[in-house]
Amino acid sequence: MIWSKATGTLLFYLFAVVSVALAIATVSSRRILRAAVYLMGVLAVTAGFYLLLGAPFLAGVQILVYVGGIVVLIVYVVMLTRSSDLAEDKPSAARKSTALLAALASFVLAVTVFKSSESAFRGAGSQAATMLIDDTAMIGRALLDRGPRGYVLPFELVSLLLLAVVIGGITLARKIQVDQSAAPKESSDGGVANA
Amino acid sequence: MLEVLASNPPGVFHWLVLSSLLFSIGVYGMLSRRNAIGVLMGVELALNSGALNFVLFNRLLAPATVDGEVMSIFIVTVAAAEAVVGMAIFVLLFKQMKTVDMTQASQMRH
Amino acid sequence: MQNADLSFILRNSWLVPALPLFSFAVVALFARRFSEKAAGVVATASVFGSAVAAGLVARDYFRIFPPGTDGQALVPWSIEWLRYQDRLSITVGVLVDPISVLLMVVVTTVSFLVHLYSTGYMRGERGYGRYFAFLNLFTFSMLGLVVASNILQMYMCWELVGLSSFLLIGFYYSRPAAVAASKKAFIVTRFADLGFFIGIILLGYHGFNLLDGQHPFDFITLSSPASLEKLAGATSGFLGVGLLPLAAVLVFMGAAGKSAMFPLHIWLPDAMEGPTPVSALIHAATMVVAGVYLVARMFGVFAAAGDALLLVAYVGAFTCFFAAVIACTQDDVKRVLAFSTLSQIGYMMFALGVSSAAHPMGYTASMFHLFTHAFFKALLFLGAGAVIHATHTSEIWKMGGLRRKMPLTHATFLVATLSIAGIWPFSGFFSKDEILLSALASGHHGVFAIGLLTAGLTAFYMFRLYFLVFSGFPRDEQAGHAHEAPLVMLIPLVALAILSVLAGWVPFSDFVRFGGGGGFHEEGHALVAALGTVAALLGIGFSWFLYAGKGTRAEALAARFGALHLVVKHKFYIDEIYLFITHKIIFRCIAAPVAWFDRNVVDGGVNLSGWCARVSSRGLTFLQTGQAQAYGAWLVGGSIIVLLVAWAARL
Repeated sequence: MIWSKATGTLLFYLFAVVSVALAIATVSSRRILRAAVYLMGVLAVTAGFYLLLGAPFLAGVQILVYVGGIVVLIVYVVMLTRSSDLAEDKPSAARKSTALLAALASFVLAVTVFKSSESAFRGAGSQAATMLIDDTAMIGRALLDRGPRGYVLPFELVSLLLLAVVIGGITLARKIQVDQSAAPKESSDGGVANA
Repeated sequence: MLEVLASNPPGVFHWLVLSSLLFSIGVYGMLSRRNAIGVLMGVELALNSGALNFVLFNRLLAPATVDGEVMSIFIVTVAAAEAVVGMAIFVLLFKQMKTVDMTQASQMRH
Repeated sequence: MQNADLSFILRNSWLVPALPLFSFAVVALFARRFSEKAAGVVATASVFGSAVAAGLVARDYFRIFPPGTDGQALVPWSIEWLRYQDRLSITVGVLVDPISVLLMVVVTTVSFLVHLYSTGYMRGERGYGRYFAFLNLFTFSMLGLVVASNILQMYMCWELVGLSSFLLIGFYYSRPAAVAASKKAFIVTRFADLGFFIGIILLGYHGFNLLDGQHPFDFITLSSPASLEKLAGATSGFLGVGLLPLAAVLVFMGAAGKSAMFPLHIWLPDAMEGPTPVSALIHAATMVVAGVYLVARMFGVFAAAGDALLLVAYVGAFTCFFAAVIACTQDDVKRVLAFSTLSQIGYMMFALGVSSAAHPMGYTASMFHLFTHAFFKALLFLGAGAVIHATHTSEIWKMGGLRRKMPLTHATFLVATLSIAGIWPFSGFFSKDEILLSALASGHHGVFAIGLLTAGLTAFYMFRLYFLVFSGFPRDEQAGHAHEAPLVMLIPLVALAILSVLAGWVPFSDFVRFGGGGGFHEEGHALVAALGTVAALLGIGFSWFLYAGKGTRAEALAARFGALHLVVKHKFYIDEIYLFITHKIIFRCIAAPVAWFDRNVVDGGVNLSGWCARVSSRGLTFLQTGQAQAYGAWLVGGSIIVLLVAWAARL
């Protein structure tokens, strides 16, 4: 018992350090392909967090969909859109400082809010339950439950959304005919209008 | 050592700081990246931290239910959808402009 | 009576209006492109089919209700068109009763003859196919109006005939006068229809509240004594006037507009800008009597409304006399006929006005005159069309001596002239006689006197027209070269001439009666007939005296009454008064200040807000950089502020 508790705490801090480090690497790496790999790491470690929180099914989903699906998609598109002018992503100092300001502000705000409302959670139990429960069956039941606490309607809506996304993705990315004759004419019209 | 670790499990505050740290890093990536795909990665980081929060609060407030987990599943799904559409747009953008540089794609200004 | 027991043609009486509608679609969409000639043939054939169907409907109807018995209203065919709730639904149906049968036969017959005539008259004109499409549309709308089973269906068709009249008056759209005339006709009748529509709403609203379980718009409901009794007790809430008088007056306003009663008559003379067969069909025989038909159709309402009928009588009598006076001075053959139409419709109106539920003789007389007038007036117009076709002018002082050049046209025109003048044995004699008799029998002696005087005037101006056009010698080179019209135009003339003679001998009161009230009174009959004939003969004699020679006597007479003659010739300056009222008073005193207010104050306010938005947005355009991440930064910043505010508010 003491072992498992100690391991849980140890793992949390370990994962936290690794995930934050990987996240920083993700947003600051100059090579976008490397960033994708770091992102994969962050997402995988998040799956570990889910395990710590007693949600093994979600951890599986995280690995399958995020790591196996989305990141692979990102990697594909990185390959497809490789251009020489963006071989290295070096944002200007102004961009960096603006982004840093926004990030810091949101972080400080979040922490302040948490700190000031920490007492609200204390009654509910100040520590997260770390026991592993069988969440798979419960999620399955909740998703297909037609009762007032069920999620069958959002579930169906999400499936509709995915259908729309599939069609939309195909429509957007399919081969389009770029009208070569129209482009210069348009610019000359603009020139006339400006003159 | 073991005693210390076992008697000091991570509290709510630790989890929340972790997730908001991940969120802020996502925001930073979202705003600083020039590569559109990098921007999308930042968005994925922020979304991921949101999903983590849902699971956390689920365990914290109603451990016997799975409502927060279901929400997380939806977030993952929506993130996947968003990634697909985003990637399609980037491919299209690349076809048109030969680049995915966010600073170049500024036709929709005044 | 169950509908299943009715004969085939009665059950399918919708065919009567549907045939011209079908043909309208065919002609307008296909035949016009395919061949102009085909358009005329298709259109004429469809109306012939419609006329045959109408004849069969009449035969079968009077088989069920033999002449001499009371004809009940049947609705052998109807569909629900718009349904709001159980009692408030609008149906489209066919109502068959004596007057709708009468009008069906008249409209289809005259329309067919006019179609036939037009194939000759319009030959070689531009827009030949378009002309026939419009003529078919008109025939459909008019028949739809005639068979309407409820007041809303009638209103729809009422507007459709207005539309087709507008289209046909403006047929020669390259002529500014025709365009102006079509607009005038449309606007004046629309203005009148406003009253009609308000009347419909009023009747419908109160009818819906007061008549349980009955459709308030159906004519059958509106003519049943029980429901009229319920409605008669209601007040309209407008100046304490009863519901029925107000509704009747409003409905009469629409009727007066369509039938060109004073003071809404101003559009009809101008409507003569359309092709002459159109004038014959629409502006003489059928559409303009729609007002009379409407009053007759709603006669139960009018009769229950008390004084509303008196208004009908006075407006009718005044228009009757007033238009006849103007007709004596006009120089355009079609304008003379137009004013004569006004006068004759005045007869029909006052005949309705002097009758009542207890003594409905004038009702029968009015329908009788409508029946005979349709034939002889169409004949007059078609004859005038033949003359205009031959002489290429409509100025009567440029004609003359056409008796020898166009013998058949002359003969038929003479028949029609004698008929309208009221000479035995022509049809006008009988119907006018009954109208005068009904006025006398009902005790309206003033109206009777006006009617009698107008009978003399009618004979005078019609024979003035006849003498100037047909007798004497040609006063113009064109008139000298005139020749007889082609056969296809002569056939309708002869057919209408025969009908003009025979129509008077129909035992009309056996067919058309209101309620149980029987036919014509016998007492006083001989006296009225004698007086009418004497008046007509006096008119003819005076006209012969003035115009049969060179016309110098007429000029002398006109010179003696210089100012009066001028006033009459300018139609009592009614048009000028209208123009004065609209342009000088309404435009200048009401419309101009309102327009100023709209342009400067209302538009100014709108422009000010637009200006504010434009200026402030120009100041904000620098924010719109097109950089998605800049927007993202604003988003994050905004969210932080919102969260801060929410959090601060919570503390």
